[in-house]
Amino acid sequence: MDDYQTEEESVEAAIGGNAYQHSRVNQWSTSVVEQCLSQLSKLGKPFKYIVTCIIMQKNGAGLQTASTCFWDNSTDGSCAVRWENKSMYCIVSVFGLAI
Amino acid sequence: MEEYNSGDEVIFNSDEANTIVKECIEGVIGGTDYDQSKVNQWTANIVEHSLTHLVKQGRPFKYIVNCAIMQKTGAGLHTANSCYWDTATDGSCTVRWENRTMYCVVSVFAVAVAL
Repeated sequence: MDDYQTEEESVEAAIGGNAYQHSRVNQWSTSVVEQCLSQLSKLGKPFKYIVTCIIMQKNGAGLQTASTCFWDNSTDGSCAVRWENKSMYCIVSVFGLAI
Repeated sequence: MEEYNSGDEVIFNSDEANTIVKECIEGVIGGTDYDQSKVNQWTANIVEHSLTHLVKQGRPFKYIVNCAIMQKTGAGLHTANSCYWDTATDGSCTVRWENRTMYCVVSVFAVAVAL
C-alpha cells in the first residue's frame, strides 16, 4: 500500500530527530495524525479513514496493543507503522473503510 | 447478514459503547497485575469481547476496536486519533482504565454502513 510510505513520511516529518519531551508530545501526536490524514485524503479514493498514533517514552516499560475489526474483508483494510529513535517509540495505524 | 433496524438514520451511541467496553476490561484484567506472559492474551480478549458485544446490538455499523496495555513504570505515553468520515453518523469512544500496575486504553470507532 502507498499508505505505508505516507505514514512513514508523516512520522519522520513531524518528530524525526527529536528527543522525547513531555511538554511537546501532545503536539507531536496530533501533528502526526493530522499530516497522515491529509495525505491520505489527498489520494482521492472513496474511503473513510481512521488514523491512530501512540508515542511512548523508552524507559523499559512493556507496551502491548491489539485491534480487531468488523468490516468488509474484500474492500477494507489497515496498515501499521512502527517507528523509533533513541528516546521514544511511535506506532501509527491507519484503517481504511470503503464507502 | 442479520437484519438491521431500518427507518431513521442511526447515530453511534458512545455512552452505551463506553459501558460495554468498561465491563469487558473489568472482566478480563480487573484485579490482575501486569504480567508480560499474559498481556498478549489480555489485549486479544478485550478487543474480541468488546467487538462481540457491539455487534450483538445489531446496528448498521462497521467497527474497529483498539486496545493498548502499558506497564506502569513512569514512562510517558500519548495517543491521538484523527478520522475522516461522516460526522453525522459515525463516531468513536475511548475508555481509559488503570490499576496499580498497568494502564489500559481502549478505543472504539464506528462507521455507518450505507444500506
